[in-house]
Amino acid sequence: MKVASNARGLITQILAGEVWPALGDRHAFRVDPDGTPFVLPGMGGVTLGVHCGDPATGHAGDHVEPGLSVRHADSAANYALQYLSCIGNRLVVASGPAAGAEGFVIGQHAYVLVDMPEDRLRQVTTGDQVTVHARGQGLVLTDHPEIRVKNCSPRLLDLIAGGTAADGRLEVHVAAHVPPEAIGAGAGMVSEYANTDLMGAYAGLGEDLSLGLESLRIGDLVALEDQDHRYGRGYRPGWMTIGVISTGSCQLFGHGPGPSTIMSGPREAFHTVVDPDANLAPLGDELSAAMA
Amino acid sequence: MSALVSVNLLGAVDQGEVGTEPYRVSRDGHPYVPVGDGGIVLGLRLGDSAQVLETDHAAPGACLVHGNLAAAHALTALACVGNPVEVRTGAGAGARGAVLGQRGEGERVIVVLAPDDLSRLRPGDTVAVRACGQGTPQPVAGVTALNAAPGLLDALGVTVDGETLSVPVRGVWPSRYVGNGIGRPTPSWSMELALPRPPDPASGPELALGDLVAVTDLDTRFNAGYRRGWLSVGLVVHGGSPLPGHGPGLTVLLTGPADHFALEEQGERHAGLTEARLLEVARGQL
Repeated sequence: MKVASNARGLITQILAGEVWPALGDRHAFRVDPDGTPFVLPGMGGVTLGVHCGDPATGHAGDHVEPGLSVRHADSAANYALQYLSCIGNRLVVASGPAAGAEGFVIGQHAYVLVDMPEDRLRQVTTGDQVTVHARGQGLVLTDHPEIRVKNCSPRLLDLIAGGTAADGRLEVHVAAHVPPEAIGAGAGMVSEYANTDLMGAYAGLGEDLSLGLESLRIGDLVALEDQDHRYGRGYRPGWMTIGVISTGSCQLFGHGPGPSTIMSGPREAFHTVVDPDANLAPLGDELSAAMA
Repeated sequence: MSALVSVNLLGAVDQGEVGTEPYRVSRDGHPYVPVGDGGIVLGLRLGDSAQVLETDHAAPGACLVHGNLAAAHALTALACVGNPVEVRTGAGAGARGAVLGQRGEGERVIVVLAPDDLSRLRPGDTVAVRACGQGTPQPVAGVTALNAAPGLLDALGVTVDGETLSVPVRGVWPSRYVGNGIGRPTPSWSMELALPRPPDPASGPELALGDLVAVTDLDTRFNAGYRRGWLSVGLVVHGGSPLPGHGPGLTVLLTGPADHFALEEQGERHAGLTEARLLEVARGQL
């Protein structure tokens, strides 16, 4: 993105995390929009076979978290990890057979989520230690003071197509616009933690549930209409939020593929361009090329 | 038709909540100290505005909690609007009141007592709740009733007219206003409407505590979620909040396809649930 920022003034903090187990309870089942109970994988652990650029829907999963799901055992250290990790940050596996393998942060979902090449991902399991090079909180677009930036590494900022337009607005390329009716669980929560589930993307269920979002992909940049995420997540007519889809398929009602927030401001501060290439996939391609 | 089951549960009066850092941050980025977020709130009653006070999720009464998380889930999921409650310990022991609704975060049940009884409560006092209402038969085919004590819907002026339900409401809001509570289980959480404070006529009529409100394109049979052509009706059980995505909270009472409802949008004429009517519904179950 061609935009002036304070990126040079940012610091990097080295944070420790651990690949966290998938969690369940003794009742096992959750309930889909039609009241049908299900038991499906998706959250926690290491989820294989789903990467940036892949469809976010169509998996027999619930809250599919691509790649590694990372937390810290200590509550305060975990909040530091969740709040300070930014999309595009480098992550290195620090223990186990994949030690030294690299990945990158794709968002938060009460876990830090990490994509890495599939052959390395297969070697990681629950309990393996990871190191995150956290950098990005505090990022400011100096020519766009009305836009608040968060969870966005300078590396991601470089990747996004667009920049300061001739009319002074910020041009951002996005794969899709999302109507406010789609905003599900995550509304009302702070926007440096977890993500915003999108409803209306239940592939294979009723037409009355659809908001036309079934073709979203993991890693897509999206524009959320009428959402103000500067200090949390809320409906606010005339505002806009840019996010990156960090989680996939859901069967739980009121939930769905979710964007982690990276920018929020008045609608008129943005000029969005719909672009199917607006996705994090090039970050994965870079890693694969470096390994080859 | 199966008979409803009543269970006696116990909750403890809550203290209210402020974090290690006293400040929360409003939707406009201003730090504030939350007042009235749980605990015993005096000076706020059914019929008062849900949108003007400088409070955070304040409810007109006392909030009950339970120290065991699974028991707290049972308390919030099973307590229904209009269920009778009785103070068991402390200076207010013996006082009777009623359940008004619930709040999911913190697993709280909101109870209403007469002001004199409320002022005698102290955090930690225990309150018995006679929970009854989940499992209520459909009032008309296709419409689910939940969180409502026996007799409550009648007291709210809900009537059956052939295959439709007639419901008097303050107003109707589209589902995009629903913030905190969306995607959460409706027997346990309130659904908050992200309405501005002070009220703005562009966002509909001002809400009062105890109002009935309808939300379009929302299916709340299980979790709350978007479903085109559906409708949910809820009762305003707590006031607004400066937090983004938060606001006056609804305990859901009815949900079904919109064509099963005949809504009467009463606007300023609307008189929602009063303290007297709520306590009368509770007495009817003893």
